[in-house]
Amino acid sequence: MLHDGSILSTTALRVAALTRHNLLLRRRDPANLITYMIMPMILIWLTKPLLTRLMPDGGTAQNVIGSLVFSSTLSLQIAGMSLLSERTWRTWDMLRATPATPTELLIGKAVPVLAMLLLQQAVVIGYGAGAAGLSIAGPFLLLLALLVWSVTLLVAGSLLATLVRSHSQLAVLTDIGAIVVATLGGALLPLTMMPAIARHLAPASPGYWAIAMLKAAVRGDAAGTLGPAAILAAIAMVAGTTACLRLRRGLAQLRS
Amino acid sequence: MLEATGLVKRYGQVTALDGFTLSVAPGEITGLVGHNGAGKTTFTRIVAGLAAADAGHVTIAGLAPRRAARLIGVAPQEISLYPAVTVRESLRLFGGLHGLRRKPLAAAIAEVTDALCLGGFLDQRIASLSGGQQRRAQAAVALLHRPPLLLLDEPTAGVDPDTRRALLAALRQRAADGAAIVYTTHYLPELADLQATLALARGGKVIARGTAQQLLSGLPGQVTVDLGDEVLTVPATDTAAALAQLLATISKPLRGVSVTEPSLDDLYQAVTSAA
Repeated sequence: MLHDGSILSTTALRVAALTRHNLLLRRRDPANLITYMIMPMILIWLTKPLLTRLMPDGGTAQNVIGSLVFSSTLSLQIAGMSLLSERTWRTWDMLRATPATPTELLIGKAVPVLAMLLLQQAVVIGYGAGAAGLSIAGPFLLLLALLVWSVTLLVAGSLLATLVRSHSQLAVLTDIGAIVVATLGGALLPLTMMPAIARHLAPASPGYWAIAMLKAAVRGDAAGTLGPAAILAAIAMVAGTTACLRLRRGLAQLRS
Repeated sequence: MLEATGLVKRYGQVTALDGFTLSVAPGEITGLVGHNGAGKTTFTRIVAGLAAADAGHVTIAGLAPRRAARLIGVAPQEISLYPAVTVRESLRLFGGLHGLRRKPLAAAIAEVTDALCLGGFLDQRIASLSGGQQRRAQAAVALLHRPPLLLLDEPTAGVDPDTRRALLAALRQRAADGAAIVYTTHYLPELADLQATLALARGGKVIARGTAQQLLSGLPGQVTVDLGDEVLTVPATDTAAALAQLLATISKPLRGVSVTEPSLDDLYQAVTSAA
């Protein structure tokens, strides 16, 4: 047999092989990524005059962050599809039959999706800063906030992938879920303009905390960023644990 | 190389394996034969570490299946490759996961490309290939890292004769090099080509095991004598003795005599259709 390398380097090489492969898969099917990059740019451009008139501060942060959260919530589908496709192509078993461990497989899947989510949001923020005049007082806080939000989306998308049986089911769940989460969170309209009941329900939406976190990060407000970030991290933990429980059977089989 | 003893696997009320026992030695090709639902695929999945047995024991070179993943090459019944990547990219991925890189990986890809005649479509995406080409690509993934145990589930389903010949030749070579091969098929002449030993499965267990010659020796052949106005057909385990006995009793002129030895198909029918 043709094997070499220590256990650590072998693990690193396997993760690298998986990551490279999953990046290749994403590159071969970039439609979703492109859609979720262009959609918020159009939203920002179209809603800018309206929000400028309606909001005393000019509404730039609301416009850019709201559009970002709305489009990134829709991109839950990217995270879900990444796992679901392995099942529909029957490639998950092929991967499991190799010496790659469950952890290596999951890292190899997660890293490219996380990179895509970050890229999408970075492009929207960049457009917001360049074309809509968004001023960023806390770039590092914003980076942290984008990372937390991306991880939350990644984990939530993975959980959805364990709950559905087909791509169409996933599309239905993510489309409806994203609209509810984003709208209720105040992504499309500021909460002050929404009905009272929506304002009361808003904190139940992860989108609400994402918007609060990202707006605070843009302002350079560390405390205002970290509080919502902790709540999103908790949501991610719950979703991640549930996803792991859903995958437990498969993981147990891997260890047999 | 492979030792499986008393494997039991249940899915709810359905018992897929019910004391499945099979051992395969290095260099041996074992044809695993049986009706759909006989437990062949479940057995393959357990050996590959993709499912856990409810009872029983399985080792590959003394290791539990998941610890032996490096020693196993798997080609499942269904095409299980990424449609959007090329054959070469698929081989690079799975070679990389088996610890191959750079020159050893390039050499391994060259070897399976040559053995399975993949050269013409190595850089085409899996989705653009015919069913037979996809089968070849899938077999190449299984063979790539030169595993000492190959689990192939109907690897020639839907392939053309040239592909079949190439694959069987590659497998014979791997067996000659010492690999143990479990070859699941419904196409029995392939097993004769491979000079495989047979394991006949029914109801979740192996009910007959041995070489084709050993298993066929218990089956009757058939002696047919054409007398012109009538044809006499006699089933017989010892066809030569039966023919001699038959000829001794016939006074009419013979128009023709034929002796049919039992085939693997007869064996399959006899074993799998028994109550």
